[in-house]
Amino acid sequence: MADAGPLSFAVVDDDEAVRTALRRLLRAMGHEVSVFASAEEYEAIAVEADCLIVDVRLPGLNGFELRERLRTRGSLIPIVFITGDGGPSPSDATAHAGTPTIAKPFSEGDLIAAITQAVASAANVS
Amino acid sequence: MPAATNRQLAVRLAVGRALGRARDLDDVYSAALDTLAECLDISRASVLLFDPDAVMRFKAWRNLSSEYRAAVQGHSPWTPDSVDAEPLLVPDVTREPSLAGYLPTFAREHIAAMAFIPLVSLGRVIGKFMLYYAEPHLFDDEEVQLAGVIAAAVAFAVERGRAREGSRRSDSGSGFEPNASSFGPWEWAGPSGARVANADGLPSGTLRQVRQCDIESDPDCLTILGIDGRLLYVNPAGVAALGAQDAHTLLNRRWVDFWQDKDREVVEQAIARAKDGAIGRFQRPARTLAGVMKWWDVAVMPIVDGGGAVTQLKTVARDVSAQSHAEAFQAGQHQVLEMIATGAPLPQVLTLLAHVIEDQCEGLLCQALLLDVDGTHVRVGAAPSLPEDFSARFEGQPVGVRVGSCGTVMQSGRSVIVTDIRTDAQWAVLRDAVVAVGLRACWATPIFSSKKKVLGSFAMFSVSSRGPSCEELRLIETAADLAGAAIDHHQSQEALRQSEERNHAILRAIPDLMFVFSDDGVYLDFHAKDPAELLFPPEVFLGKKMRDVMPPPLADLFSQAFERALTSNEPERMEYSLDLSHERRFFDACIVRCDNDKLLSIVRDITDRKRAELDAAAQRQELAHLNRVLILAEQSGALAHELSQPLAAILANAQAARHMLDRDPLDLEELRETLDDVIKSDKRAGMVIHRLRELLKKSSAVLQPLDLNEVTREVLDLTHSDLLLRRMPITTELAPGIPPVLGDRVQLQQVILNLVINACDAMSTVDPSERELRLTTVADDECVQIAISDRGVGIPDGAFDSVFDPFVTHRADGLGLGLAISRSIVVAHRGRIQAENNADRGATFRCFLPLATGAADAVPAGPRL
Repeated sequence: MADAGPLSFAVVDDDEAVRTALRRLLRAMGHEVSVFASAEEYEAIAVEADCLIVDVRLPGLNGFELRERLRTRGSLIPIVFITGDGGPSPSDATAHAGTPTIAKPFSEGDLIAAITQAVASAANVS
Repeated sequence: MPAATNRQLAVRLAVGRALGRARDLDDVYSAALDTLAECLDISRASVLLFDPDAVMRFKAWRNLSSEYRAAVQGHSPWTPDSVDAEPLLVPDVTREPSLAGYLPTFAREHIAAMAFIPLVSLGRVIGKFMLYYAEPHLFDDEEVQLAGVIAAAVAFAVERGRAREGSRRSDSGSGFEPNASSFGPWEWAGPSGARVANADGLPSGTLRQVRQCDIESDPDCLTILGIDGRLLYVNPAGVAALGAQDAHTLLNRRWVDFWQDKDREVVEQAIARAKDGAIGRFQRPARTLAGVMKWWDVAVMPIVDGGGAVTQLKTVARDVSAQSHAEAFQAGQHQVLEMIATGAPLPQVLTLLAHVIEDQCEGLLCQALLLDVDGTHVRVGAAPSLPEDFSARFEGQPVGVRVGSCGTVMQSGRSVIVTDIRTDAQWAVLRDAVVAVGLRACWATPIFSSKKKVLGSFAMFSVSSRGPSCEELRLIETAADLAGAAIDHHQSQEALRQSEERNHAILRAIPDLMFVFSDDGVYLDFHAKDPAELLFPPEVFLGKKMRDVMPPPLADLFSQAFERALTSNEPERMEYSLDLSHERRFFDACIVRCDNDKLLSIVRDITDRKRAELDAAAQRQELAHLNRVLILAEQSGALAHELSQPLAAILANAQAARHMLDRDPLDLEELRETLDDVIKSDKRAGMVIHRLRELLKKSSAVLQPLDLNEVTREVLDLTHSDLLLRRMPITTELAPGIPPVLGDRVQLQQVILNLVINACDAMSTVDPSERELRLTTVADDECVQIAISDRGVGIPDGAFDSVFDPFVTHRADGLGLGLAISRSIVVAHRGRIQAENNADRGATFRCFLPLATGAADAVPAGPRL
């Protein structure tokens, strides 16, 4: 991942502090970052990105719904779920299936591993 | 009830005194009315008697108009044949159908209530008392009973008085005064010393004088004595009175010999006076030839010849037995009553009573028997004139028809007259003993208590086989009545003594401390099973005011309780604690009014109970806390979310900063910005933890008067930065000078805080420009209200109550606990909380808290929720 060169990220999180910090971190790692406060905002602007980092729990459309809409439209954009609720619960297992999920607070290493996994599985599908 | 029997005794004594002064029937009626006024405070009353024509007529009255008397004359609920007559009480004349015809008469006379009290002698109605009242009157048992006591005494006196007046009807005057024709210097023509009675039975020489004064028909015992004191003549009334067959058996006997030896001197003095030309007078008893003792009022007068020399003597003797008997009886009765009143032992009282009755009835012997408390055996009360071993035969006999007249009487509650013991079946068991001492007849009547319970029997034994005279029957009844009063009094005294003993036993057994206070709080007396339990030795507090002994705030509480107990006459309870040298002890005091103006405080040390209660309270507190912990555990996901957000931001920012440090050149501005964000997020996490800690904190509530405005300002200070951070504009309208409420500062802060957070949460999705958080306080006579309004999303319809239920939240975030806790706190403060939507936008939560006065002071200190 570190060798993959600059990537572009879209970050969707309703918590301003979180999305500001993520934007700062990813930029410091040399990547392009666009941030959105909600799924609706992201959809409206519909920026091209190499990876979508999205909070599962969002006002309005939540992370799962956003993923469904993207996949339905045929978008294969790699997605990483971030969550403040402490990781996937058993009932969410299918919802999370195939999408790497990391629990807040997460380290830079966790984040890179998840992005790597997401990009790899998207490449496999294509 | 000793007070009742004392009052009854007082009435008996009073009526006895009044009747004792009575010289004639009119006096008897006056005595009756006087006693009614004196003892029962009845100022309007009358006495009516059946005349021989069987018509009831007014004999005496107080405060009754002649029109009224004329209008009701002759009305009587009873006839002379009525038996077992009971008092008739008319509490309201307008409700008594049988008196409907008299209503206009009653109205004119202002009579609203009345009582008919029958005068009964030997079971028959002889007349009645009427008691009149100007207002409807509820009769109590005691006054009816007392009126009955007076009626019984008056009936007896009336019967005696009537008997006496009957015997006196032929008299010229009411008192015995020798009339002018029977004394004075007599003209004497014939030869002196004539001793031989002529055909008329008169000494011939005295015939003229005898004719003159009509001595033949004189009802008194009239004799002529020779100068030597021997009987020359006895008139027919005298022959009869002395119980002689004819005059001849009496003539020539020495007059002095008719008198008892001990009275001889008095008799001879009277004779001497007559010989000197004066009149000698004396009153002495003497036996008739038939052996009957009679009291005589005697005048001895000279008979002089023409020269003025005393040649013969004339004696006039009147049988005054009845009169002196009556007086002796009145005095005896009085003595008995006084003996009862002074608490003399029952056997002594009954013995005196027996003597008083025996003195009235020549040749009769009295016996008072008591019914044992077991109700089935006989106990001897008194039989002073009967042989001791004779009485002993009665002791312990079972009550029954074969155990003499008395056993029957006690079983049946009715009088029994046995005229010949030798043949009567009722004497089957004790016949031999009775006949052996020479007794032949026994007349017995039951002794009743004032509540008509059989207490025993009063009997008269006669040595001859005969029935009693009316007079004797009346005496037995009176004796039984007096014996009843004596036994009643004795039993009530006994009950009082036992009750006092019981009270002492209870006092000894009671572990509580007792204090008697005057109405102004001075310690008068105390009781302590163990004096070591007293906080102070008696000399420190007795005679002192409570204020000088107890801490002033406690003394104040007591004096307030004293006042309430004195006014309401209801027990007052209070709990208090005292800090003693090494510990705090808790007490419960029950304060009651006693002796009208004193206070009895029964104090119990409830420290152990109180500690158990406090332990229980602590347990409840523990549970409430545990409950909170569980709720928080359940909500850990939400809490984690609230914490993970700032923590995620912090970590990302910190790692970004490390990347920035690797850059060359360093972008210091960017680094500073990053660190600022780290700090900001950390504070945010800190706030969450702080709230968590507050929720998890354990502490006890402390109730104190609080200014709700002040509490509100404290909350706003606490939340200032948070509210700024959340961009919540605040408006306050705190009414100046609102009265204090009683509450726990932290709890009330928590309520306001919850409502503020709730309002902010409600507005979190509202554009900051449209937000407004408004805090308002206002007070009325009963409570202080604090209202917290927001311009948020409002409360869904129908959820105004459920919004306070725990774990109910209508927001995406929040625990749903804040409002529930707030409500339980407000309720514990005896207040209420309500939610409503504003007309335009948002919701308003209102708390009403009672003012810190009156009943609010009693809010119990409880665990902090």
